[in-house]
Amino acid sequence: MSDNKYWQSFGELNNSEAYQQASKDEFREELPFEADTKGFLQAITPRRDFLKYLGFSTAAAAVAASCEVPVRKAIPFTNKPEDIIPGVSDYYATTYVQDGDAVSVLAKVRDGRPIKIEGNNLSPVTSGGTSARVQASVLDLYDTARLRFPSINGKEATFDAIDKAITEELAALKKPVVFLTSTITSPSTKAIIGEVMAKYPGTKQVVYDAISYSGILLANKASYGKATIPSYRFDNAKIIVSLNADFLGTWLSPIEFAKQYAKGKKINEKKPEMTKHFHFESVASLTGSNADERYLHRPSEAGSVALGLFNGLNGQSVSISDATLKKQVEKVAKELLAHKGEALVVSGSNDVNVQIIVNAINELLQSNGKTIDWATTYNTRQGIDGDFATLVNDMNAGNIGALLIYGANPAYSWFNSKKFIDGLKKVETTVSFNPKADETTQLCKYSIPDHHYLESWGDTEAKTGYFSFLQPTIAPLFKTRQWQDSLLKWSGSTQDYLTYFKSYWSAKVGGENGWNKALQDGVVNPTATTTIATTAFNSTVVASAISAISSSKKGGKLELQLYEKVAIGAGQQASNPWLQELPDPVTRATWDNYVIVSPSLAKTLLNIDLSNDGQADAYEVQPAKKVVKVTVNGKSVSLPALIIPGTHPDTIGIALGYGCTDKMGKAVIGTGKNVFPFVDGSSTTVNYFVTDVTAELTDDLYKVALTQTHGSYDTKQGKRTEVMKELALVQFKEEPNEIRDDREKELKPFGGLENFEKEGTIYPYYDKPGIHWGMSVDLNTCTGCAACVVACHAENNVPVVGKPEVMRFHDMHWLRIDRYYSGDVSNPKVVFQPMMCQHCDNAPCENVCPVAATNHSSEGLNQMTYNRCIGTRYCANNCPYKVRRFNWADYTGADSFPDNQIGIVNDVVMDMNDDLTRMVLNPDVTVRSRGVIEKCSFCVQRLQEGKLKAKKESRPLEDSDIKTACQQACPTDAIVFGNVNSKHSAISITRAENPLRTFYSLEQLHVLPNVNYLAKVRNLDTEEKDEWLKGDKKEEKKIEAVEKSS
Amino acid sequence: MHLKYESQLREPLVYGEKTYHNVTEDIVRPIEAKPSKLWYIGFYIAVSLLLFGVYSVYRDVTYGIGQWNLNKTIGWGWDITNFVWWVGIGHAGTLISAILLLFRQGWRTGVNRAAEAMTIFAVMCAGQFPVWHMGRVWMAFFVFPYANTRGPLWLNFNSPLLWDVFAISTYFTVSLLFWYSGLLPDLATVRDRAKTKLRKYFYGVASFGWSGSTKHWQRHESLSLVLAGLSTPLVLSVHTIVSFDFATSVVPGWHTTIFPPYFVAGAVFSGFAMVQSLMLIVRKVFGMQDYITIGHIEAMNKVIVTTGSIVGVAYLTELFMGWYSQNKYEGYTFWYSRANLFSPYGWSYWGMMACNVLSPQIFWFKKLRRNLYVTFFMSVIVNIGMWFERFVIIVTSLYRDYLPSSWSVYYSPTIWEIGFYLGTFGLFFTCFFLFSKYFPVIAIAEIKYVLKTTGENYKEKMVHLEAVDASVFGHSGHGHTIVDNESSN
Repeated sequence: MSDNKYWQSFGELNNSEAYQQASKDEFREELPFEADTKGFLQAITPRRDFLKYLGFSTAAAAVAASCEVPVRKAIPFTNKPEDIIPGVSDYYATTYVQDGDAVSVLAKVRDGRPIKIEGNNLSPVTSGGTSARVQASVLDLYDTARLRFPSINGKEATFDAIDKAITEELAALKKPVVFLTSTITSPSTKAIIGEVMAKYPGTKQVVYDAISYSGILLANKASYGKATIPSYRFDNAKIIVSLNADFLGTWLSPIEFAKQYAKGKKINEKKPEMTKHFHFESVASLTGSNADERYLHRPSEAGSVALGLFNGLNGQSVSISDATLKKQVEKVAKELLAHKGEALVVSGSNDVNVQIIVNAINELLQSNGKTIDWATTYNTRQGIDGDFATLVNDMNAGNIGALLIYGANPAYSWFNSKKFIDGLKKVETTVSFNPKADETTQLCKYSIPDHHYLESWGDTEAKTGYFSFLQPTIAPLFKTRQWQDSLLKWSGSTQDYLTYFKSYWSAKVGGENGWNKALQDGVVNPTATTTIATTAFNSTVVASAISAISSSKKGGKLELQLYEKVAIGAGQQASNPWLQELPDPVTRATWDNYVIVSPSLAKTLLNIDLSNDGQADAYEVQPAKKVVKVTVNGKSVSLPALIIPGTHPDTIGIALGYGCTDKMGKAVIGTGKNVFPFVDGSSTTVNYFVTDVTAELTDDLYKVALTQTHGSYDTKQGKRTEVMKELALVQFKEEPNEIRDDREKELKPFGGLENFEKEGTIYPYYDKPGIHWGMSVDLNTCTGCAACVVACHAENNVPVVGKPEVMRFHDMHWLRIDRYYSGDVSNPKVVFQPMMCQHCDNAPCENVCPVAATNHSSEGLNQMTYNRCIGTRYCANNCPYKVRRFNWADYTGADSFPDNQIGIVNDVVMDMNDDLTRMVLNPDVTVRSRGVIEKCSFCVQRLQEGKLKAKKESRPLEDSDIKTACQQACPTDAIVFGNVNSKHSAISITRAENPLRTFYSLEQLHVLPNVNYLAKVRNLDTEEKDEWLKGDKKEEKKIEAVEKSS
Repeated sequence: MHLKYESQLREPLVYGEKTYHNVTEDIVRPIEAKPSKLWYIGFYIAVSLLLFGVYSVYRDVTYGIGQWNLNKTIGWGWDITNFVWWVGIGHAGTLISAILLLFRQGWRTGVNRAAEAMTIFAVMCAGQFPVWHMGRVWMAFFVFPYANTRGPLWLNFNSPLLWDVFAISTYFTVSLLFWYSGLLPDLATVRDRAKTKLRKYFYGVASFGWSGSTKHWQRHESLSLVLAGLSTPLVLSVHTIVSFDFATSVVPGWHTTIFPPYFVAGAVFSGFAMVQSLMLIVRKVFGMQDYITIGHIEAMNKVIVTTGSIVGVAYLTELFMGWYSQNKYEGYTFWYSRANLFSPYGWSYWGMMACNVLSPQIFWFKKLRRNLYVTFFMSVIVNIGMWFERFVIIVTSLYRDYLPSSWSVYYSPTIWEIGFYLGTFGLFFTCFFLFSKYFPVIAIAEIKYVLKTTGENYKEKMVHLEAVDASVFGHSGHGHTIVDNESSN
């Protein structure tokens, strides 16, 4: 190193005194005070400087005195983990597990926390599809009501203390140990349970499913010798007949079934053919709403309908007292006979005899081996009601020493919960592994909460041979432990579950590499493509089933059907605010259960006549609904009544899964009532209907939070076909151009379809070069399952607003699924229309904003600039689709007025802003503050990410780069999204291939939406079509014209 | 400027034995005397309402617009209804002062001052609503075209809301100038009579050193004419632009080309009704029967029946177009949401029809036109009706528009929405009470201007001229000299 001295100026070189002084002084020049000896106060300041000082000091004082915002701490990593890059998401394959259900998913992890669940495309079972419950499960991870530590008698204890206490108690037991679990599909867990059983002889496992499938299991045992459920292949069926099985919403494996179902519902415009779906049910369900033909019967007639079908297929006479129903059954039987080998009949009944008949029907139809596959069977439901009943008896008799409860909550969901609770008190050692203080856990001595699935290791085998793995995506948030670890400890093993699990699988999947691949993929599938297999049918049981059904109880005046909701199910995730706020696809109600009544029953029971405009309006516009008291065997429940068309006049429906203990979380407080006690447990299998109930109108009113109050696009001033287009398959075959012609006619004065964009306006036309985003929604394959709605919630930090706010029509959903009825009011056809921002190219919202807070991007996006928005709400008024949402209160805690919303928003919303719950927020999306408008952005953060990816790889954008959250979640691929300016994109291909069904909602307004819909085509024959369109003026005219010409 | 001779067929505009001095005394008396008990009671009520309004607004700013019952379908409700209502009321003042000045309507002199004051206060009240109904009112300054560092985000000149900002601020400024310039000579009168130093100072400053010189008068006259010329188009433009808030949208029931004239007529209608209400009170409270005469009242009732009928025609035209266009969305809005009495908001439409179209028709009868009680009752009815009109336009259009899926639940206001409205009443009357206490409620100078041609006692003295042969007037320019001689006796 040289000692050369470097200098900048001569002053520095010489280091003169003046230079030293000058470099010390901050201000090189004199301050502009004309200082004199009289002191500072007398100093003369030039006017300009005075103003400068005045300005500065005022501003400084203002800044110092105001602008105090709450401090939120963000702490950076001291040592950054290698695989965490801020701003970049990691995806881990894991599996959603809830009771027996197992869905292969990818967890999107940002900065160490899972924030979103996406489907796993590698799973052949779900092929990347998800459901609302799967999408919402990530929020359960951050549920503040989760148990945070193990406890003995409610007092916190260490794992060591608990292990010691339990092993001692188990060792000292004279009576048997019983595992009471929900269905377990995990092979490794089963092996561990086996080890525990070996250690404590006499131990047994009782499987309890909250919603019982015993009927079908026992029937299959009788018919086929196997107490299991075969795979159904809806995609191989031309005719699907569902006897009250909600297979698109809640029955068995809805994601998989929806995917298969959609295959048959996709329509090739050149050769329009599709599956035909007949549905028999008592209370409107999601699947019934999707059916081509829905027939209504009383719940007590379920057996005779099945029997009628069987007889019809056998060529015998159908004996059903109801003439209409008889005709319908005969018709379906005829259709089925014409499609032997390509038909499928499923039943949601839990009655063994009914299921045996259904098996016999499928045998007659030669479905076995074609639409029913015995090679792979479901492991997701294994509970047998009789086993559990026996266990409860044993418990009450004092014969059970220890009860280890995992995933089961019979104190809530068993019809005779009191008996179970009494029995539980007689068991010496009670252990609950449930993650929350549910009704059963509250009664157990030991509580060792299990991890959430996103914190767990594990495996599942939902269908034989199809394995799916769990791996943790976050370190455990609380002092919880996987229950397999507990079992291993108690069995005397020194291994922890991870080691056990790894060694269990490494051998099977080919060592370390295979293990790593299996974890990375998340799934292990059968190597060879399995062929559909049949199994031998034992027809001897049919006769006794027939006689049992023939002698079954006849219904009373009014019957009750208990059903599951798409979002809530049996209530396992009832404390999830996203699911509670998810409008039920059928009723559009949130946060409650209620009594579903048909329009004709409403007339007699509620004194509401929907055919009277005034009464119908009053019913619709007032959230307060009449309360009905429903009594079954002396037990009664008072719930508000909703009028839902598509329900049998002599049947009412109530959803299960509500009214659980407040300890499940803030979201369940005050939401609905528990109707599990109504479940009929008088036979060997429980039945989810009651044949004789009384319902009486009370004087009370109860407000129900509905997100949609009107369900018909037909008005006295005309049918709003610009909103929704649907037609029957026969019409489509006869006049394939009908929809296109209608559009052409509507737009003719403005240039017709061809030139509408240019000639429909006085303003100049602009080219749209580069990328132009567009979306297409196929109404034929959309089942309305609402997975997309929750996905949108999760992806875009859409706030939860709570029941009081939804009641005031303040819900914030960016994406909603509109439900429209058409045809006969007692049993209408239903169509679902996902409605999100249409990203109009001539958007009416944009030109009315005084401050240009909403504007158009060069890629066709209608953008919201949240921090520019001043909240005049004109855009929301002027949006014909009403998709803009205003932040009426501080739902997110993002406001600059901190903590002032107590009493303004309810506890659930406050809970969503808790530091723990906020971990679910997507950091890519701004959390909106009070007073601004928000809406669908086409997931602009995903678009940017995808474009960046393509750019980094120096290649044009591909469809696979970008999937919006709703598109990703859709189990039926009804949503297609992409660049419409590219000829090869899926969206362009979809539009090009479906010119006859494509329509834009409210196209005539010349708002030029970028979202198109593909019209719904129903597989109806001429007769059914006429029945559906009865009273339709346009149809009448056509008929007249035909008559005249002939 | 006025004819020196006025026909006996015309009613006098000032009653009683009045000299210039009497006029000054009559009008300035309330300013110089202690306010009456009635004044105090009224003032306290007004201030209480104002405070309640301030608290209501405080809640909406602090806790969010969710304090109101608006929802995802009905983005505007009472807020914009009240805004349009107040703007409408703010029309009569300028119409009376400007258009009637240009049309040389002598009767305006008795009512113009109070009417102009009312205009200003009404516009002040109206302005509260678009400001405080914003979700983020602290960012309200975004609507002003000021230079900033926010890049391309500036104003959106396509937005009718922005037009509103300019239209209303211009209107307010011009009205204020007009009103104040008219006040100058009167303030000088009060100043000249002041007995205390404070009053002298206050009115001295307020009158801008008015000395009553010919030059002052000449400039005053010119300024009045110029401002009248400026205000006249404003009277038409303001409500036209307010109507654009609706007319330029795509909402069925709003998207209507008839709105500008219909809104202007409605505004004049409601403005005159409000002037009637206030004038009848002022007349009673301050004993101004001599200056605000039955003739004035009748003239305004004629305007009310005319504009009410215009509005009625507009309503019927809308209904007709709702059918004639064969547009099912408009058809639904006009024929189901509105004209159907049994639909959820049918009552508001028929309330509007009854108040605005049917009830003013009683003013075809002279006897009723000249009845004070009927007039007062009707003026209130008309303003209720005009409130309903705005409510009907806003709420019944929004609550059931294009997508039936989004049709709203029933909208009724919360206490804070009502409180905000009451608060603007408080603001209005607080201002009006202060005005009536500290300013001459009738334009002294202008009354004096017309006194000797249209004053009762002067007119009586001119009776004999009726008998004079027309040729006398035709030949010489001395006619007026004779009158002057006569009247100065």
